[in-house]
Amino acid sequence: MSTLGLLRGPAALARACLGLWSLRLGEKRTLLSPGGPAAMLQVARKRDYPALLPLDESELEEQFVKGHGPGGQATNKTSNCVVLKHVPSGLVVKCHQTRSVDQNRKLARKILQEKVDVFYNGENSPVCREKREAEKKKQERKKRAKERLEKKKVLKELRESSRNPAVDSTAGSD
Amino acid sequence: MGPWARMLWTLLSGLRGRRGGIQGWAFGLWPPYLPQPRLLSPTELVSHWTRVFEKRGIPEARESSEYIVAHVLGAKTFQSLQPVLWTQPLTPQQLQCVQELCSCRLQRMPVQYILGEWDFQGLSLKMAPPVFIPRPETEELVEWVLEEMAQRPHVMEAQDGPRILEVGCGSGAISLSLLTQLPKSQVIAVDKEEAAISLTCENAQRLQLQDRIWIVPLDVTSEGSWMHLLPWGPMDLVVSNPPYIFHQDIEQLAPEICSYEDPVALDGGEEGMDVITSILTLAPQLLKHSGSIFLEVDPRHPELVSSWLQSQPDLHLNLVAVRRDFCGKPRFLHVQKSGP
Repeated sequence: MSTLGLLRGPAALARACLGLWSLRLGEKRTLLSPGGPAAMLQVARKRDYPALLPLDESELEEQFVKGHGPGGQATNKTSNCVVLKHVPSGLVVKCHQTRSVDQNRKLARKILQEKVDVFYNGENSPVCREKREAEKKKQERKKRAKERLEKKKVLKELRESSRNPAVDSTAGSD
Repeated sequence: MGPWARMLWTLLSGLRGRRGGIQGWAFGLWPPYLPQPRLLSPTELVSHWTRVFEKRGIPEARESSEYIVAHVLGAKTFQSLQPVLWTQPLTPQQLQCVQELCSCRLQRMPVQYILGEWDFQGLSLKMAPPVFIPRPETEELVEWVLEEMAQRPHVMEAQDGPRILEVGCGSGAISLSLLTQLPKSQVIAVDKEEAAISLTCENAQRLQLQDRIWIVPLDVTSEGSWMHLLPWGPMDLVVSNPPYIFHQDIEQLAPEICSYEDPVALDGGEEGMDVITSILTLAPQLLKHSGSIFLEVDPRHPELVSSWLQSQPDLHLNLVAVRRDFCGKPRFLHVQKSGP
């Protein structure tokens, strides 16, 4: 089984992981031009979460495209599933989300990084905290929507009863 | 492309165009691989066709059926389909579509040609035989080029930088992904095959990159052809995935490759070096000082290229780095020009 070639250089992957992480938070991306803060076109609502535990490439075992053959031009394979294992914890991620081996490798690392963080940090992991926050927000939104609906109902009833002055207002609607 | 393959492709293109109104099989040769009379869910359909492909010895049986079914349902991969769809039955039209596409797979047509599209570095590109299908390794070639460019701020900050020449553009994969990720770059893409020129053109337009790419029919192995490129000025970079297969290995390639892809895009001559050496010969004439050449090659080539360069001191080229692909094979070369 081939481990990730140390010759490969994790810099590009790390860069991509961070980029993907900021996308996943669902917030708007910050676009910075060389002009500095004043030139910010969009501001990201960044959370004050500490970064996730970084993944050490030397602790990962990566497996893809079993029997890829000679590779390169001599091969045309469409299977690009990446199986990534974090050896110390034994956690494994299988990623076949995209048609690109490269993208799947990056995604696999991102997903594994989250899993590893939850594994070691449990409830305190930013992953869990963010989930709880998202759930809380969802409940609050539901509650507010419900309240708005109730208010609308009450207003509607009031309007209807005032439109028909002949109807005895104490008799209620029919 | 063989005559049978060509006939199949024509039929598929016709079917694809009239997808809504297909009546039935006019071809007596098509085997009726009909699923059960009731409607099937994506998962069941994939299992069905996987079994059919396996019985017929079609490689990547499961992957092929997954891609085809996902494609008909509008997704790029089966895993990316919304899970709620996995158990919902397909419509009769969708089933018909899957059947047509799977019939092509039974004829060993590559999945990328069946779907008529494929992804490269996050870009969706049109695929059409016999134009060479981009390989996953080549994405790493692009990554390497990007990493190198990031370390050359003077190149990146230039008004139209970097200026890139791609040799053998095929579907345009390398050029278009570089253009996308290097917003100020300009590319001259050449290929000796008309079909490749057209396809690169089409893909460039689909991605709205036509303003920054010049696509030129050119055979770099013909004497003095490089002079046609002089008007575009000196380049920062030459990049290529040139035909690099050893001629004797061509006939051992899978039917997917032999019957459908252009052998001209694969065959590099006796030692797979013919086009590589042509590129290395013309590059110094077109490159700026310290300009770079990035190549994808066969794992046997790093040594061969190294010796060859040593035998050509007048080129003033040095092999500065070799990089491995995701399978650990030495696959990519960085050659740099020293001297004016």
